[in-house]
Amino acid sequence: MSPLATTLKTNLEAEAKQFHDVVDHHMDVPWPDFLRAWGELREIDILKRDDEGAYYIEKI
Amino acid sequence: MADKGFRSFLDDLDAAGELKRVTKPVDCRQLSALGEQADEATMFENIEGYPGWRVATALVSTRKRLAVAMGCTENRIAFEFEAKSARPIDPITVDTAPCQEVVMEGDDVDLTSIPLPLMHLFDGGPYISGTFAVSEDPEHGPNVGCYRLMYRTPKETGIDLVSPSDMRFYYQRALDKGEPLPIAIAVGVHPLDMLAASYKAPIDTSELALAGGLRGEPLEMVKCKTLDLSVPADAELVLEGELLPIGWTADEGPFGEFSQISGDVKWNPIFRIKCITHRKNPIFYMLQMPWENDWLAAPVTEAAGLQALRIASVQPVDIRAPVGSCGYWSLIASIKKRPGEGKNAVAALLSVAEVKYVIVTDDDIDIHDPDELDWAIAFRVQADQDAVILKGARAKHIDPSVKSWLLGKGGLPTTAKLGIDATIPEGVPKILYRRIKNYGRDRIKLEDFE
Repeated sequence: MSPLATTLKTNLEAEAKQFHDVVDHHMDVPWPDFLRAWGELREIDILKRDDEGAYYIEKI
Repeated sequence: MADKGFRSFLDDLDAAGELKRVTKPVDCRQLSALGEQADEATMFENIEGYPGWRVATALVSTRKRLAVAMGCTENRIAFEFEAKSARPIDPITVDTAPCQEVVMEGDDVDLTSIPLPLMHLFDGGPYISGTFAVSEDPEHGPNVGCYRLMYRTPKETGIDLVSPSDMRFYYQRALDKGEPLPIAIAVGVHPLDMLAASYKAPIDTSELALAGGLRGEPLEMVKCKTLDLSVPADAELVLEGELLPIGWTADEGPFGEFSQISGDVKWNPIFRIKCITHRKNPIFYMLQMPWENDWLAAPVTEAAGLQALRIASVQPVDIRAPVGSCGYWSLIASIKKRPGEGKNAVAALLSVAEVKYVIVTDDDIDIHDPDELDWAIAFRVQADQDAVILKGARAKHIDPSVKSWLLGKGGLPTTAKLGIDATIPEGVPKILYRRIKNYGRDRIKLEDFE
């Protein structure tokens, strides 16, 4: 897993966030790099959604 | 080569003074907010991180720009759509196409190489909003529709297939056999092609031939590189792949819906992409929600209204599906009225799809002028005689007022519909509606006194 994907995973294990909140925290990251890291989380199928549509990851 | 294409339409907008060009570098996370603020359609010429790409948006987000696409005046759009859709022209196949100038297959497939925008605050991810989606069923043939795609991975997107549609029907048939459904997604086609794709045609009606009718020339199609499907040759970008046979199991959304409301998370299939083709120096089309969707819906609703009025033997003079109700939920029409036809017209228009309220006026009222409509309703309507309420009619889940969350899974909502007959009531002399006119107005001109 890339360092950015690892950071995203850690943040979403800590609390649920709307996608725009995740984006806002990484505005310094080039958009293609952000999307690739997001895709890494999708590929291992760990992203969950709450009732408000926010993303979170269950910490194991 | 066809006369009409995505780029020729951009030229038409430019000639009409309806296209703004932004040359400063823009990040994909800024595109939607910038496009929403522009008074014109916008072409972003310099996308950070995506050399060679441009992004166009808001191409038909006003009735004026839709009229440019239709090649007529704003108040003739419905009549043009009705007339041209009655003369379909079959598509033709070409061997080579601009949309296949660049080809990425297998491991080279990478959606992050395309400038995917983050459009709305509560969206579940970046979206491809303006699609011309092609699928095919062995029994029913090719079908075209418009479906949003949410980025998931460099090779996968979500797709909203919740509402009943022909592609959903095709997908269900493939799913029943445990098979994927091959589909191709074209992005960046002429708005007339988008109009045909968004038309809710009967399942055996060809949207491709409808597009030809609206164009007045056959739509040129080219065979996909990896699928036994064809796509518009003129498209800017094509995604070839398949809907995985997983049913409605993957989270998708929210997305800014055509009802002008942020949606919620839905459960949908996944689109896996096997091949990406595009033009050299491609233009990504970001369909601006809700306005472009709503203006594309309006002519279809208006034409259905005209058809309903003609079947009811009522003579329409003008009709519009206001963008305030998304070009979908209301119709306002003026008619040449004979006794009783105000009510006939109301009943006919209330029968159109999910149209929820209608207003019918006489032909002396300019239905595009809200003050004229208010005047007609104020002085020609008695609520106890001229308001018609139709209970228990079909509705869409997306309308919060139908409380679809109270329904069980798979339940279909119903709604009440309201019609207002704002024509001059039978028995009221027309002279009582004689409008104020200033004495000498036709011959005395202010400019002669300046």
